[in-house]
Amino acid sequence: MIIKTEHLTYKYGIGTPFEKTALDDVSVSIKEGDYVGVIGHTGSGKSTLISHFNAILKPTSGKVFVDGQDIWQDDKTERIKARFKVGLVFQYPEHQLFEDTVYNDIAFGPKNMGLSGEEIEKRVMTSLEFVGLSKDCLEKSPFELSGGQKRRAAIAGVMAMSPKVLVLDEPAAGLDPRGRDEILSRIRDYHKETGSTVLLVSHSMEDIAENANSIIVMNRAACMMHASVPEVFEHASQLEKIGLDIPQITRVFISLHKLGYPVSQNIYTVDDAEREILSCLKGGGARD
Amino acid sequence: MIKDITLGQYFPGDSPIHKMDPRVKLLITLEFVVLLFVVNNFYGFAVCATLIVAVTALSKIPPKTVLKSIKPLLFIIIFTAFFNLFYGGGSPVFESVGWLRWLTWGGIRNAAFMSLRIILLLVGSTFVMYTTSPVMLTDAIERLLGPLKKLKVPVHEFAMMMTIAMRFIPTLVDETDKITNAQKARGADFETGNIIRRAKALIPILVPLIVSAFRRAEELADAMECRCYNGGDGRTRYKIYSCKSRDYVAICVMLIVTASVITLNVLI
Repeated sequence: MIIKTEHLTYKYGIGTPFEKTALDDVSVSIKEGDYVGVIGHTGSGKSTLISHFNAILKPTSGKVFVDGQDIWQDDKTERIKARFKVGLVFQYPEHQLFEDTVYNDIAFGPKNMGLSGEEIEKRVMTSLEFVGLSKDCLEKSPFELSGGQKRRAAIAGVMAMSPKVLVLDEPAAGLDPRGRDEILSRIRDYHKETGSTVLLVSHSMEDIAENANSIIVMNRAACMMHASVPEVFEHASQLEKIGLDIPQITRVFISLHKLGYPVSQNIYTVDDAEREILSCLKGGGARD
Repeated sequence: MIKDITLGQYFPGDSPIHKMDPRVKLLITLEFVVLLFVVNNFYGFAVCATLIVAVTALSKIPPKTVLKSIKPLLFIIIFTAFFNLFYGGGSPVFESVGWLRWLTWGGIRNAAFMSLRIILLLVGSTFVMYTTSPVMLTDAIERLLGPLKKLKVPVHEFAMMMTIAMRFIPTLVDETDKITNAQKARGADFETGNIIRRAKALIPILVPLIVSAFRRAEELADAMECRCYNGGDGRTRYKIYSCKSRDYVAICVMLIVTASVITLNVLI
């Protein structure tokens, strides 16, 4: 377990009239090397939860373990280590760019880790490749880049720290379809090549179905489910009740199944759908 | 957390004081401040203090909060009081005991008098801030300064700038919080090192913050232009203030207070 929370509770504005429980007794554990999707309605506590993974927020009660260490147990060193072990990419990360060149901005994290100049350069180059930016960008000002490029430069800035866990809060928000596919496939490649754990917070069930292996469902400050993709999407009606959805393609196949076609109901991605329809047309019938 | 900073001092409520016409409130406060300088005896202050107690009770603002407004200037009050102790004239408190002979009864009276004046001044003038939302306040200032428009003073533009500035303070505070967290996640350290290091550590927060402030300003300007905003000329208002009976009552009370203070001045 790379990340584990035990009875994690977090309250905003304690002692004021605005007190609000943002996390209520959340116990989740995340396996090393997993690709986890985090879904939930706006205000369900997703962002608050991930902010605990690298000690940005201090739990009101409960414990957070990163790599087996209780990060709030003793002195600061554990928390600083957690910051570097868990790379957090916030929503609209391009708003955090500040250096004069893209190179310096990506190098900011590694520099804070106290790495040597050589190592920093190596890391900047690899993460630049991971996000698919060309080398001409390096000497440009980050403010000259296009919206999608800025987003990628900012994500590269976190990847350059080579965190064991990469957490992304809506990395595709506000991008056009091509931009979002591009970013998500880059993250998928990063996950495959580095073997690191990835957490993806998203509102798009399609994105989650296509990328994640397991899903954490947040609802009203609590963790409602944490299971594999098929297990979670089986509970379509329950998800709908809390304002979530299942992938569109899954809906299509459930309807097809109801109409009497011999297809599986557990289809979550377009690629799977293609295969299923082809095998069905060949007369093979349902796969499962 | 940075969010805990209270901005402005507005204390929401729906007491008669809150509902008063902000223009009347401003003018009455102004009058009250002037009156405090007219007072030349302790009885006058007693009248003023009674008014403040009454307003506190009416506005339902906790007395503790009201007294808090003294805190920022506590040092100045003590400072003023201390020096007044020795420059009052009159008979000394202790006869011929070194430098203490400069401490006089007149000095003590002066010190108490000045402190009372400053305290009443602070408490009295903060009531406007407590009971009027910043937007209403700028609106009222704009109306009161309206006649200056004839002299080509851009009153409306100033008021609009003030309103926008205040509207965006919470937004920018929020933004600062977000950026700080993002940079912390990249290992930025804001808590250790000497002053120069700490000041340098703020650059990763300030640059994105300024960039975003400019972005917001541009977006807002576009949005205003899309809605055909072109300055104050010919603009009608959504909220029209009108003096109600409670405002007239307030004016009467203030007149009575003023009259009694002046009478006391003359009599004593």
